[in-house]
Amino acid sequence: MNGLLQQDVNQETFVLNLGPQHPATHGVLRVKLVMDGEYIVEAEPVLGYIHRMHEKMGENRTWAQFLPNCGRMDYLSALSYNHGYVAAVERAAGIEVPERAEYLRVITVELNRISSHLLWFGAFVLDLGGFTPLLYAFDDREQILDLLESVTGSRLTYCYFRFGGVYNDIDDSFITGTREFIKRLRKRLPMYDALVTKNIILIKRLKDIGPISRDMCRRYGATGPVARGSGINFDVRKHEPYSVYSEFDFDIPVYEEGDSMARYMVRMDEMEQSMRIIEQALDKLPEGEIQPKKAVKLIKPEKGDYYHAVEAARGSFGVRIVSDGSNSAYRLKLRSPTYSNLSLFGEASRGMLLPDALALMGSLDLVIPEIDR
Amino acid sequence: MMATGASRFDLARFGAEVFRPSPRQCDVMIVAGTISKKMEPAVKTLYDQMPEPKWVIAMGNCAISGGPFVFEGQYGIVEGADKFLPVDIYIPGCPPRPEALIEGILELEEKVTGFRRWPRVEAK
Amino acid sequence: MLLRKIKEALNSLYEDVQEAPEVPEAAAVEPAPETETAPPAEEAKTEEGGPEQAEEAAAETPEEPAAPPGPKETDYRTKGYHLDVDLPPEKVVAAAEILNRENFFIEAVTGVDWIDDQQLEVVYDFNHFAELCRVVVRSRVDRSNPEIPTISHIYQGANWHERETHDFFGIKFTGHPNLEPLLLPEDADFHPLLKDFKA
Repeated sequence: MNGLLQQDVNQETFVLNLGPQHPATHGVLRVKLVMDGEYIVEAEPVLGYIHRMHEKMGENRTWAQFLPNCGRMDYLSALSYNHGYVAAVERAAGIEVPERAEYLRVITVELNRISSHLLWFGAFVLDLGGFTPLLYAFDDREQILDLLESVTGSRLTYCYFRFGGVYNDIDDSFITGTREFIKRLRKRLPMYDALVTKNIILIKRLKDIGPISRDMCRRYGATGPVARGSGINFDVRKHEPYSVYSEFDFDIPVYEEGDSMARYMVRMDEMEQSMRIIEQALDKLPEGEIQPKKAVKLIKPEKGDYYHAVEAARGSFGVRIVSDGSNSAYRLKLRSPTYSNLSLFGEASRGMLLPDALALMGSLDLVIPEIDR
Repeated sequence: MMATGASRFDLARFGAEVFRPSPRQCDVMIVAGTISKKMEPAVKTLYDQMPEPKWVIAMGNCAISGGPFVFEGQYGIVEGADKFLPVDIYIPGCPPRPEALIEGILELEEKVTGFRRWPRVEAK
Repeated sequence: MLLRKIKEALNSLYEDVQEAPEVPEAAAVEPAPETETAPPAEEAKTEEGGPEQAEEAAAETPEEPAAPPGPKETDYRTKGYHLDVDLPPEKVVAAAEILNRENFFIEAVTGVDWIDDQQLEVVYDFNHFAELCRVVVRSRVDRSNPEIPTISHIYQGANWHERETHDFFGIKFTGHPNLEPLLLPEDADFHPLLKDFKA
């Protein structure tokens, strides 16, 4: 890559910087492009513009003091990140979670997944040039944020989970509000389908753009909707069931084509599946405690290393904890899904037109603070 | 910020909806989020590229003072936008609510024009 | 089952150290050739654990010798992974090739700083799309001169993971095409996640 950048001026290619400040990069991502006219010869993402030292803070903070950090890594689906960290520590320390708390976790995580996909939908179509679906998607998203705010207290960077459960219980207004919202979204999704998904301009911009093969996904470790859009039937909720996901009946949308349209359809279908999970969870919600009976006072996991993976909105989020028996981690590794997903951008965007590469980047659903951690 | 520009907390009512990608056409720069040491020269360049008169809003705890990422031995972030930029308005919050951003913009309007569009809400 | 298959495949990497004799007299005679086949000072401790412990056991009482080195099955419920493979640095590429043949995907590559042992540990996580089988490959390198061959020609995703590990710990991945800072500024020369790092 560096060899291509240090070339003499008689060559036809030029270097273009898709700078850290750009409306289409969804955060501070810089992409160094070597272009031949409008075609990309090489693309190299440059990261680190919002590196906030989460892993170092994992060592400097106690187990509980790290909880606010989880919500700030990927602020759009913060509850999945909360879940990953809390579940990893619970596995390490052997803490049991009461059933009602598990159900509440699932309900809130799935609501968060829908709100993350709605924002992705609005921002993606905005990248392609359509301004209106963003406003409609945000309207739906505000309803979810209201529901979650009534339970957790924050709009965006939630810190709702505690070791062994959740910290606040839901009331009837939340349950009725959620059911109302699901009814409402079920009426809105066909509208998005008819106006946006079947729109000839969107189809021409996304179909056969940015093909990612199964082997490429495997070599780069891409997971989540990127892998499911390439025909790999891999979802941590079914592959490696955690929490109470094994009790729900839901499908995993998998599309074979591997182009941006497939990834788009995977996420739209996932919203419907999340609604199914929420309905089943609300029907089956048991009574009970939301924190374990024996209050968790001091967390001191045994020495050793532990790993836990959850399905975040963008892929498989893994937490590796190396513990030395003290009250803070010895090493905390956060395996972020978008990091692996973006690493295939260099290979996948060779020979593409620049607007198509932006469509590919939008379909990968990037949130840069999650990559840089 | 995105939610403030969207349907519920419509920022266009105040004439402030136009977010432009190029700094050459802007009057106000909103520094939202943590400024890492790697990003600092880029933000300074953007500020220098803006034509006068220009104002800066620091949005969020991280832009005000480094926020929750200040710890002993931190190596990566700049503790506040006012370390290298002249900031006019500070909007606290982590993250700030859309209403806070609207209030910040109205404050800036008052600072610039001397005229406050909406009466201030006083606590009784 | 995939776990059994991959365990046997990875076991082949240990063949040269698994002749570790469990018989006490042989242990007294053979430690020299053992340490010659494996590189000095940079290998995992379990390799030497076998013959050394057998030696000590022979010296004290004829006890049960230590478990032979090889891939260890772990309890998934408590640890989160199925197989723990401890290897010297130069065998890591062979392990990655075996896992690539069996269609594993790479989840993460990271490092751990064991300052008390003056060693840095590189940890590779692999998983499989079709059947759940998480394999963890570890390798310890010397802290003063940490070098380990790269696997980025087999798993391209490891390219970024290795750059990040180099950023944080200073581990050099020999053969890596582009070991520049990824998350830190381009001119950074410090490695923040080392335990003795001062800002």
